[in-house]
Amino acid sequence: MSDWSGALRQRLAGLRLSPAREAEIVEELSQHLDQRYEDLRADGASDEEARRAAAEELLDPETLNRSMRTLRQANLPLPREPGAPAPGRLGNVSQDVRYAARMLLRQPAFAAAGIVTLALGIGVNTAIFALVDATLLRALPLPDPDRLVMVWERTERTPRSGVAPLNLIDWQERTRTFEVLGGMVPNVGGMVMAGADGTAETVPRQWVTAAFFDALGVKPIAGRTFVPDDDRRRADVVVLSEGFWRARFGADPGVIGRDIRLDGSPYTVVGVVPDAAQLLARTSIWAMLSTHGAPPAARGAYFLQAIGRLKPGVTIDAAGADMSAIADALAREFPTTNTGRGITLAPMHEAVFGAELRQTSMLFLGVVAVVLLICCANVANLLLARATTRTRELAIRSALGADRRRIIRQLLTESLLLAGIGGALGLAVGTVILRAAPAMIPQGLLPTAVTLTFDLRLVVFCALAALVVGLLFGLAPAWHATRIEPAPALGAGSRTATSRGGRLRAILVAGEVATAVLLLFGAGLLLRTLLVVEQVDRGYEAESVLTMLVDPLGSQYPNDQAMLQFYETVEHEVMALPGVRSVAWASTLPLGPSYFGRYFFEVVGEAAPVESQRPAADYQIVSPAYFETLDLALVTGRGFDDRDTSASPAVCIVNEAFVRHHLSGRSPIGARLSVRPSGAPRAQPVVREVVGVARQVKGRPDETEELLQIYVPLAQDPVDDIFMVVRPTTGLAGALAAPVRAAIGRVDREQLVSVRSVMTLEDIAWEATARHRFRAILVMAFAGLALLLAMVGLFGILAYSVQQRVREFGVRKALGAGTREVLRPLVSDALRVIAAGAAIGLASCALIGQLLDGLLFGVRPLDPVTLAAVPLVLLLTALLAVAAPAWRALRIDPATALRGE
Amino acid sequence: MLDRELKKGSAELIILSIVEERARHGYEISKLIEARSAGQLTFHVASLYPLLYRLEERGWLQGRWIEKAGERRRRFYGLTAEGRRVLARQRETWKSFVRAMGLVTGVDHV
Repeated sequence: MSDWSGALRQRLAGLRLSPAREAEIVEELSQHLDQRYEDLRADGASDEEARRAAAEELLDPETLNRSMRTLRQANLPLPREPGAPAPGRLGNVSQDVRYAARMLLRQPAFAAAGIVTLALGIGVNTAIFALVDATLLRALPLPDPDRLVMVWERTERTPRSGVAPLNLIDWQERTRTFEVLGGMVPNVGGMVMAGADGTAETVPRQWVTAAFFDALGVKPIAGRTFVPDDDRRRADVVVLSEGFWRARFGADPGVIGRDIRLDGSPYTVVGVVPDAAQLLARTSIWAMLSTHGAPPAARGAYFLQAIGRLKPGVTIDAAGADMSAIADALAREFPTTNTGRGITLAPMHEAVFGAELRQTSMLFLGVVAVVLLICCANVANLLLARATTRTRELAIRSALGADRRRIIRQLLTESLLLAGIGGALGLAVGTVILRAAPAMIPQGLLPTAVTLTFDLRLVVFCALAALVVGLLFGLAPAWHATRIEPAPALGAGSRTATSRGGRLRAILVAGEVATAVLLLFGAGLLLRTLLVVEQVDRGYEAESVLTMLVDPLGSQYPNDQAMLQFYETVEHEVMALPGVRSVAWASTLPLGPSYFGRYFFEVVGEAAPVESQRPAADYQIVSPAYFETLDLALVTGRGFDDRDTSASPAVCIVNEAFVRHHLSGRSPIGARLSVRPSGAPRAQPVVREVVGVARQVKGRPDETEELLQIYVPLAQDPVDDIFMVVRPTTGLAGALAAPVRAAIGRVDREQLVSVRSVMTLEDIAWEATARHRFRAILVMAFAGLALLLAMVGLFGILAYSVQQRVREFGVRKALGAGTREVLRPLVSDALRVIAAGAAIGLASCALIGQLLDGLLFGVRPLDPVTLAAVPLVLLLTALLAVAAPAWRALRIDPATALRGE
Repeated sequence: MLDRELKKGSAELIILSIVEERARHGYEISKLIEARSAGQLTFHVASLYPLLYRLEERGWLQGRWIEKAGERRRRFYGLTAEGRRVLARQRETWKSFVRAMGLVTGVDHV
């Protein structure tokens, strides 16, 4: 066999192959020639003949070179000559990136720790940015959103009162600053829509004035929106939302102009609008509320929310002055209703999102920015630690003539690559959080206008975050690295661990531990609060109770008598079902929202309180069986029964707190209360005699003030929109939902459509604690993240400390050190850092307790259980962080460690 | 030996066909071409390998160093998905070319 490499290299000379590629080609071609030689020999050729014949494969000296010349691999960019002008920037950058990628791959654990840290930090920031973007940055999805203004009437006591329809009409006629003013009824109600096939469903509906869509600037996607003529004709017309149109009518354009039956009456569909019109309230149908020819009394009915669109170029201050002048004029013209009623204006964006939500968003952003800073500290830490091990490499490069800028650039490229990968993963983490968030955020916490979406803005934010983060954590180690003096670093080898950076790193990690302890403590307090709130004594004993809202149709049950008759028939029908123990009716449920709110009352025979301090109590209408159904005890007196009718003397039952606060020192039974709705202070009061005292129930799970209640018999104050309450003899109440609905259907098939909010009392209690749960989960998530980061930081310094001291551990082991001796320095390092961090964190716990005080319930700000639990959690997780480096230290083989250099 | 020009145009097709069923190393490729053409076609080192590298740069072939126990590592060339498509296309072209030549010249190639 021969060595062909000389001949081959000669032929390849002049091609610009990379050295590695050239070696490969020489290897491959040599093999070919060798094999050719061997085959020829096997065929009987002499050594000389075989060698010559094989060499002929190379043909003339030029062929190989000529056929290779046009290949890409043979035309690599020229190497940079000393003193030659710099080559293209990009080529150099890609070289840097490749080198950086190799460096990261060489230390996968280091790279993974850094990338995971960054992915979590950037991911959380991305999710919170989506919230901030939705609430603070993004313009409302309507044309010229800057010109949209919310308008309220203002009195001395309520700066944002509703608007009376007649005032709205006058404003529209007289204003010189608004292009158009529309109105809406803020609450979205339900309408029963009958389908052609006999089915029916309840559809969310909002009443709006004819100019509503013009004010918002919403253009129809099919048909038209309301026009003044609709208002003049007092037409029964509706506009559908796009989503509803698609879902319910299959986007059929033929539905325009057709009548649909709502609450039993025909309404004409005039158009379809995009879902952006749902900005102020989520609804499927907008029904036109005609204000044309409203009676003069309508000037005293303040029930509308007005929305105005300013003329182009008009400021909100100018509009304010204009509207005040109009309000003054109206006050002079209609003194009885309009005296003292001014105008309040606010930009729509501000009004929709509210100062509180915007502050919360900013607070969140602040918190997660701190988390991101911890991430940066962590990665900087890892890089600093690595920089000490790379001292030698950098010293060699600098001795070979790499200038300082070149080295900084190389190190920054590594940081940015790390940040880039972390950022990309962070985007994924953020997306996951955003996808999971809607299920966790309690309803009503965010206005309807807030939609957390994933879009290009998020990607840009993520990229920017990664860039800033990469520069931030990369600069310090890069700067640190360039200050290395080549001579001593080369001379000393990598044996000396610089303790200079070590102290700084330990302080950083201790700070992280302190932050984690603080957040853990906060999370613990909120968790304890959640537990207290969930186990609160609700006052009633029934375990499982089914509830549903029933709303008798006005067309079928026009008067109280018919309504009561309906309730009674349904009650009988449901009672007849197997497995039903009792059935009752109630206007409000424990822990549920109060439908009637508070009523003013006075105890008859006692001095009347001043008007501004009139006491009020929660007003609840119940049927006689209510107390039995919920197993709510009566402390004294009697419950309601058949004696309490509309014709008999008015009676009521009060609760224990009511007696303590207003009837103490006397027998509550027989006391007489004068009761009237607080929403209508001038209404005629009803005098009711107290016949019983009920046990205290909770209005809210975390109420700090006892709920005062006045129960009134249904027969004496019949209402529609009432909850039916059904208690089973045994088992879970949820199973009764279907048979109960069927029973209602047997009484009145059409009525079935009004049945909604089918829930058990358990469900209601769960919803009532949703805010507490949300807060606890949120802060726990942050605490968990902070803890994780702190532990990654701890792991980082320990792992590097082990790597730095491989020799030392080796020597110790060679000298006969056991497990205990090897682990002692490591564990004591870890303990020092944890103890310092925990001490600072625990010392600051009083502060966070104070901050959270308003959110706590049934837990003291310095709860000892939480105080004890936090260090325990910390120690347990620290064990995990210590385990891996300890394992590595124990497995160091003395022989290898000593030979290592 | 066939005409030089013809060989040059069809060299790619020949190599792609040779590695169609499985990846082969350079020497094996050259031996197979020689054997299958009954000695009519031969590729030398200086022409075969540049061609292999070119096909590799075009993404039609992929070369991989493969090490077998007790042997030196060798570079094996296999078809890529793109290479497979090109081969099918070139075969079609070749067939129609041969048919056309037959019709024009009256030479029966079948």
